[in-house]
Amino acid sequence: MAEYNKKAENDHTKAELHNHGEEYFREKHLMLDPLPRGQMNEMVMESMHTTSWKFWAVFAVLSAIVAYGLVYTWAKMIMEGLGIAGVNRPAYWGVFLVNTVFWIGISHAGTFISAILRVFKAEFRRPFTRAAELMTTFGLVQAGFSIFMHLGRVWLFYWLMPYPNERMLWPNMHSPLTWDLLAITTYLLSSTMYLFLPLIPDLAMARDRSTGWRKTFYKTLALGFRGTEGEWTHLRNAMNIFAFAIIPVMFSVHTIVSWDFAAATRPGWNSTIFGPYFVVGALHSGMGAVIMVLAVVRGTMKNMKYFIRPEHFEAIGKLMLIISMTWAYFFFNDYMVQWYGGDKWTHQLLHFHEAGPLGWMWFAMLIFNVAIPWAVLWNRRWRSTPWIAFIVGLLINVGMWFERYIIIPVSLSINRMPFTWRLYEPGVEIPLGIGTLAFFILLYMAASRLIPLVPVWEVQEGQMAHALKKYGRETVVTVSELE
Amino acid sequence: MADNISLLAVFPDLEPAADAIEQLRALGLTDNHMNVISGIPVTEAMLGRPSQWTNVPRLAAGGAVLGFLGAVFLTVVVPYLYPYPIQVGPQAFVPGPPTVVILFEITMLGMLLSTFLGVFLDSYFPNYRPMEYVKEVSDGKIAVFFICPEESKEKFTKAMTALGAEKVEVAEVEHL
Amino acid sequence: MATLADLKISEVKLSEEHVGKWGMVIDQDMCTGCQACVAACAMENNLSFVGEEDSGYGRSMHWIRIERFWEGEYPEVKMTPNQPMMCQQCGSAPCEPVCPAFATVHSQAEQLNLQVYNRCVGTRYCANNCPYQVRSFNWRDYERPEPLPNQLNPDVTVRRRGVMEKCTFCIQRIHKAQDKAKSEGREVADGEFTTACAQACPASAITFGRVDDPDSLVSQLARVHGHGVKHLEELGTLPNVTYFKGG
Repeated sequence: MAEYNKKAENDHTKAELHNHGEEYFREKHLMLDPLPRGQMNEMVMESMHTTSWKFWAVFAVLSAIVAYGLVYTWAKMIMEGLGIAGVNRPAYWGVFLVNTVFWIGISHAGTFISAILRVFKAEFRRPFTRAAELMTTFGLVQAGFSIFMHLGRVWLFYWLMPYPNERMLWPNMHSPLTWDLLAITTYLLSSTMYLFLPLIPDLAMARDRSTGWRKTFYKTLALGFRGTEGEWTHLRNAMNIFAFAIIPVMFSVHTIVSWDFAAATRPGWNSTIFGPYFVVGALHSGMGAVIMVLAVVRGTMKNMKYFIRPEHFEAIGKLMLIISMTWAYFFFNDYMVQWYGGDKWTHQLLHFHEAGPLGWMWFAMLIFNVAIPWAVLWNRRWRSTPWIAFIVGLLINVGMWFERYIIIPVSLSINRMPFTWRLYEPGVEIPLGIGTLAFFILLYMAASRLIPLVPVWEVQEGQMAHALKKYGRETVVTVSELE
Repeated sequence: MADNISLLAVFPDLEPAADAIEQLRALGLTDNHMNVISGIPVTEAMLGRPSQWTNVPRLAAGGAVLGFLGAVFLTVVVPYLYPYPIQVGPQAFVPGPPTVVILFEITMLGMLLSTFLGVFLDSYFPNYRPMEYVKEVSDGKIAVFFICPEESKEKFTKAMTALGAEKVEVAEVEHL
Repeated sequence: MATLADLKISEVKLSEEHVGKWGMVIDQDMCTGCQACVAACAMENNLSFVGEEDSGYGRSMHWIRIERFWEGEYPEVKMTPNQPMMCQQCGSAPCEPVCPAFATVHSQAEQLNLQVYNRCVGTRYCANNCPYQVRSFNWRDYERPEPLPNQLNPDVTVRRRGVMEKCTFCIQRIHKAQDKAKSEGREVADGEFTTACAQACPASAITFGRVDDPDSLVSQLARVHGHGVKHLEELGTLPNVTYFKGG
């Protein structure tokens, strides 16, 4: 008898099942810890207005990095040509493409959280859908920069757009790059619209609580939203359509990006599994980035500790573990099939990946993408801890960047003409890439000062739907289907 | 002919607001004399109100059709507009799989763009003219706006206050 | 406006009987590796001078290169026959469908793969997709100090940075010969003109001509040797250059 009691005391999981008071649930779950809407509004507005000197210091440093790394270096590259970058024969594509795929991958997490989690009615998404959706828009901006940078004659980029012109030519619809352009444009427009629609009621709230230039800013953007039955109906209808429709768009975008490689005749690229492999890879790095952003937002912005809680890190951490397993599955699929039945060029390529000068990158990729997430995220307490989740997310992002580096410039070094085999060494791609990263963070910081980061109306909607109910002796969380 | 005035009553919660709607109906107002403005999307059913119409799904479908037609133009019509047929690789003039990709993407673009613009169209956004509004709404309150004859103002005010209205006042038309 | 009749012209013959029009035969046993073809091509086609550093990093602009390999371990090292490699003018070119700007298309009249400099935006997808890796990109604007501009061939465009280029089978010479023959009211005779690389080769290792004409020198050579190979034929690119070695 005594033994059983001691075990029950030490075992947290068991204790959770039995009769916890309301206090326990309130502390753990945002949805069961409602505050008056006015107070939550006040908290969000306060977090937007409270800016310390540290914020401005970081802002200044990032601005300097953007000015040098992005603006100056890109201008120099346009004037002098791609020769100052590291691309050559046979690695005609290098870090610019790696960064493009990387940023598009990051942008997928936003859609995953705001659309897929919405469709599956995962209530824990509510406080951070906007924070994730902002990542999508800003990530796609960086992807756009990265792909424009890699063009030889970027000042003529508009020739790739479909419009009637005096050359009497339309873009080549056979080319995966044209599909890329159309898909990414569709995705950028759609996710910006999907960011804006749920933002309108919060802009109206900000308008009601602001004065001066801020009031004019929010008033213009809020479009005169009041909250009438008609406005809510149109808005929610549109949001439902968007949530369902943007999911296939999201899948198609990264699949089409993967077809830039899979449609080519290079050994190691011409793999039929690239479509889903890249989509899962995008989710992998994206979710890692979301966790990083949430950890930073919760740690640095006022009042965010109320909205973003360990339960959110726990839920995202679980998802990250599943996605990491899925990524490992697709990676192994691709690798095993090439290793087993591949031709001599593919075998040369695989050998070069593992044992070549950049073999360390290949191993690091596997450790960061698979070993570390599997070793850490299974544990509920670890994945609920923001700083641990941040580190895992960071390592996953590094690992996924390595994965794309291996797929693009490292794979390009090996082809069917051995006389042309040559290593790729990045040149100005490094400052330009760092510039895009700095610009991403800069945009995000600017948005955090201008836009309410938490969709308070969605949080309140969720809190309305959640209740505690007693089943026999056990208190359980229930969710009503309000929609 | 009696003068009508616009009154508004602000309620802190769902139940009193729903009761108020019923009471207004009992006092002789029809549904189109009432308007509910709220800070969270309480559905019409929760308040006992008739369902709201919306054109957004129809506009979305229309946009999808337009997008599809645009994509058909780009993939099937355009190759024949060139003065000289352009041959690229072993692929047919109108290649199968690339056509499917383009059709899908531009259909989705058309659908989502028209959904977005449909919200604007249906809600008459952007609307910067002065309108009836109370700031409490964005703090989560439910405001019931109704038009009643001027001489019954006292009766209605008392009825709303009895049901728990935080404030009952004449609805002013003002810039938001 | 293209019609249905034109559509018939544009169907590429994918079957085994693909013949093409202009082609080459390269006898690797004759090739001495002297690189005269490389120099002649550079002069004829206004190639830029890239310099030692960029060349060493894989940015040489040469439209034709001599590939050298060896077999065995030191000291029993054996040189294998030199392999001139240039654009194979594939009948079913993988570089063509992937250009978003239609800068590389198939010429119906000449059965060649065209590179249209003034449509190229520089995405370099074509170069990635070429199995022979014969495409060169203008990574910079390379200098031509005086008096080198005097050497430029007026029949060929000078390319600037950001544009892809490759061997054209000296299409300017093809057109010149065709124009001359047309003005004289006759067909172009076999051997009337040839490409710069074939012209310069002291060992006559490169032969250029009409592969669809069974009486042309290039077709005869192909028949005589009998064991010619086309590189990477298994990819289905239908290249127009036949290589001989070990004869």
